[in-house]
Amino acid sequence: MTLDIRNVGRRFGGVRAAEAVSMTIEPGQIVGLIGPNGAGKSTLVNLITGVLRLDSGSVVVDGQDVSEETVVGVSRAGVSRTFQNIRLLRESTVLENVALSLSRFAQVSTLACVLGLPSARSEQRDIAARAMAFLEQIGMASFAHYRASELSYGHQRRVEIARAIAQRPKYILLDEPVAGMNDVEAAELGELLRTFAGEGIGILLIEHNMGFVYSLCSRIYVLSTGKILAEGAPADVSRNQLVIDAYLGA
Amino acid sequence: MSFVYAYQPLLDLLLINAGFALSQYVVLRAGVFSIATPGIVAIGAYTAAIMMARHGISIWGAAAAATAAGLIVGYALSIPLARLRGPYQAIATLAFVQFVIAFAFYAEPLTGGAPGIDNIPKQVSTLGLLCCVAATVYVLSSINQTRLGRIFDALRQDEAVAASLGISIWFHHALAFALSGAIGGLFGALQAGYVYAIEPQQYGFAMLTTTLAAVILGGRRSVWGPIAGAAIMTTLPELGRSLADNRLLVNGLLLTLIIIFLPRGLVDGLLFMRDRRNDRAARDQASLKIQKTAQP
Repeated sequence: MTLDIRNVGRRFGGVRAAEAVSMTIEPGQIVGLIGPNGAGKSTLVNLITGVLRLDSGSVVVDGQDVSEETVVGVSRAGVSRTFQNIRLLRESTVLENVALSLSRFAQVSTLACVLGLPSARSEQRDIAARAMAFLEQIGMASFAHYRASELSYGHQRRVEIARAIAQRPKYILLDEPVAGMNDVEAAELGELLRTFAGEGIGILLIEHNMGFVYSLCSRIYVLSTGKILAEGAPADVSRNQLVIDAYLGA
Repeated sequence: MSFVYAYQPLLDLLLINAGFALSQYVVLRAGVFSIATPGIVAIGAYTAAIMMARHGISIWGAAAAATAAGLIVGYALSIPLARLRGPYQAIATLAFVQFVIAFAFYAEPLTGGAPGIDNIPKQVSTLGLLCCVAATVYVLSSINQTRLGRIFDALRQDEAVAASLGISIWFHHALAFALSGAIGGLFGALQAGYVYAIEPQQYGFAMLTTTLAAVILGGRRSVWGPIAGAAIMTTLPELGRSLADNRLLVNGLLLTLIIIFLPRGLVDGLLFMRDRRNDRAARDQASLKIQKTAQP
């Protein structure tokens, strides 16, 4: 039961964006992925989630090979994500954003929706109620009826993560979740992530905020020019001379 | 009563145009920039006209066949267009409309060529049109009240997000195309069964701009948007009749004003204000509840 990234490679022309990258994320684990700008971190997320095709290697979710799957297929296999630049449905409310995440579990047929049968209408009410319950659970119920565009930056980040988590993925890939947040907001988000990990969700955390990464992650991978430079416990990685030279600085 | 009789033809025209606008609305609602509606309307109209004028089939059979034809053509269009987006989709569907019109011109034995088909028995009444618009509104508002409405909203705003949440873009775009086709085919048949004669030119650029303008004016989210837009686009030329040649100028000015001041469209603009108010009320209620539970 792991998310296995095995020898993943991808090149764009002469640029090797990912070269023999291997990583493992276990359920309930928060794993960090750090590295300088342009190291290929977001590219890696796009490779895992099927946005980009793999040139080589494979991605395996709990034994199921999803290397050839589309974005929809990878999501349905249980891998959620957030985006480096927040992508909420800005015209929609927070509740609608989260409810959207639950709509793929809908049982009622499309025809029933088109014909407006009572089963389809009650299902939609049920989805909205579940989305509301989830918002209550994570302490965001008071934002339910705000348009996403009306929220502060930090809250928009939380909504995006909540939307990805609401569909109970096995694994979630967070692309710079605390970028632009202040320390209080980051600490709150850290607590939330610990809760989700406690529920058995495996989290890959891509971040530049080293304090945040060290405080949450049990294991860290360092990516540089598309290759894994080092991996290990936060304390080991922070002392690794290669990592200091490539990323952390003296 | 004489008032009603005097304006009945205008009402009929309005209902037919509302049908066309609703066909255009479905695709835009789902984030597909298809402008194939006039082409599909033409296919529906010719299907019905040939059946009614040449084979003596009643409007019921003809309308059902035209709806089915529109649905199939709409779905078929979605397959090659699945990889195109935005302006490219618009250009490809415009080419489809031109192809249909050219076919109507040159396939003379089937379509009657440039003069079109006449002697179509008039079997469509105001009541019939009303019922068809009502049925279409029912289906489209059902969509808005079920998960499909939320999914269409998501596809229109950011389809990469929808895909990342496990929602099939391809399936829902194909659904929008098929629905748009079915509605276009149906109202094409109703038009053919109303106007006695059809010819290829009437499905050209003028219809395309009128239909598109109706949706942009009225709004893309609520079902009532395109209907309000169709009402404006149908009655404006009539109201402006006394302005003679300045009519187009006044039309253009009015459209520009609405687009500047209500960019979401007339109905959506008003609904947006109402939604804001409701959201605020819901928020106040939610915070009241939180305060109450916080008190010992």
